[in-house]
Amino acid sequence: MATTIDRRRLLSTAVLGGAGIVGATALGSLAPETALAAEPVPVAPGTPDPNFAEGRVTSITGTMLLVTGSDTTLHRIRITSGTSIWKLHPTTFDRVEKGDGLYARGVRLPDGTLAADSLWVNIVNLQGHIAAMGRNVLHLDHRGRRIVGHIVPGTTAAVYNGTPAVSDVSLLRVGRHVQVIGAWHPDTNEIDIATVYAAA
Amino acid sequence: MIELTAALQPLLIGAVLIWSARVKLIGRHAAVNARRSALAGPLGEQRAVTAYRLLGLVELVLGTLLVLPPASRAELVAATVLAAAFLGYLVYSRTTAPDASCGCLSAQRTPVTARSFVRAGVLLSGGLLATVVDPGHWLDAVTAAPAGSLVVVLVGAAVVVALSPEWDRAWLLPLRRLRARLTHPLAGGTGVPLLASVQQLQLSAAYRQVAALINSDVRDHWEEEDWRMVCYSARYQGRPATAVFAVPRSRHQPDEVRVALVDDLTGTSLAALGATVDTAGRRRPDHPVPGAGSATTGPAYAG
Repeated sequence: MATTIDRRRLLSTAVLGGAGIVGATALGSLAPETALAAEPVPVAPGTPDPNFAEGRVTSITGTMLLVTGSDTTLHRIRITSGTSIWKLHPTTFDRVEKGDGLYARGVRLPDGTLAADSLWVNIVNLQGHIAAMGRNVLHLDHRGRRIVGHIVPGTTAAVYNGTPAVSDVSLLRVGRHVQVIGAWHPDTNEIDIATVYAAA
Repeated sequence: MIELTAALQPLLIGAVLIWSARVKLIGRHAAVNARRSALAGPLGEQRAVTAYRLLGLVELVLGTLLVLPPASRAELVAATVLAAAFLGYLVYSRTTAPDASCGCLSAQRTPVTARSFVRAGVLLSGGLLATVVDPGHWLDAVTAAPAGSLVVVLVGAAVVVALSPEWDRAWLLPLRRLRARLTHPLAGGTGVPLLASVQQLQLSAAYRQVAALINSDVRDHWEEEDWRMVCYSARYQGRPATAVFAVPRSRHQPDEVRVALVDDLTGTSLAALGATVDTAGRRRPDHPVPGAGSATTGPAYAG
């Protein structure tokens, strides 16, 4: 905990403390050609992206995740100190549990493991309409099946008509169509809602 | 007070019985209603309809006798017996066919619940009270104490309506809708969500400068005075680094977003970009944002 605070202080000082403004040239030109000149990921057409993995965690050993993909592919995913982990919100590796579903993106190492850059745990993206609502609960009808979406105060964001995200979800109405990004509760029909996109 | 309440029971019970008979005799859906009720089980659907109509007839006759003079104790005894029989029917219905409609006071389909039992109990106790006291005809009581009678009748009617699921549509549903409108079940979201800061930083010139170096999603975020700090993993000149963005928390000013790249191993600052901000939060004019135009030269990325 203390190291987290020290590290945050260090980073805050670096960005706010005016440690010296480096010109844009230090990072290269702003031109789009420069950004697009980055080496493309070599994926042959029709083959799976080697730098991506999805599935459910079957075991956790140290910083290595053993993941069974939905096509029964086995993935070994290595978590590094630079891996971002999302589980409803940015979180830490100790929150990843056996049975969680995940999407991972990173770099495939020669030994077949995926060194993860980003990990999205239990993330779901679904569209449906609001069938009912209760205190901080949305009942969603998703392709004829009922999904219970929990609003998490302080975390859930709402995007209305594509405008910047706000915390106020009270503009949602029963019967309206919504798109929801959320974190699934494994093996249930319940999710915690991270972002809900709606018309208002 | 007890006398007055007892005296007005025949009027209340009579009114309920006549209303109930109306549904059973001239209601458009009476036949369907009868088949849905628990009577259909033991009697068969065809006879259930006949029994339902017959019950309506009994209710109509008894209700009319109760309301119209002369008052007699026999009418009250009959009403009490009918109320007791009705309570028995509810118990039977609840035990044998819990999903069947009560079929009591309206064509609306209403399963037997605790409220139905309480209502039947209220009618039964009203009948018992009137039978024991035997106060004479209700019209005499009304002429003796008109204001008190009005109160008792209104309270009695309110109790019956409140206990009848059949009338919920008329009063309970609008009340619930009003409550939902006044206190929205999803109300209470405050603060700036992380997504708003991420959207803002993605619109910034600072992000466009370092986007190609970033290789992760948001790793950490926290708040520092008026700023929200958002961290990403990056690689800079072959070294693992952290890209830390400072995003204005409560204002939408993407050109005020600042970024620093910090070496993960040594903790040294490798690069910093963005507007220099003084303590009051204003941008200093002598440090233009790299890549962004100033007001005098015109916007560099207008449109």
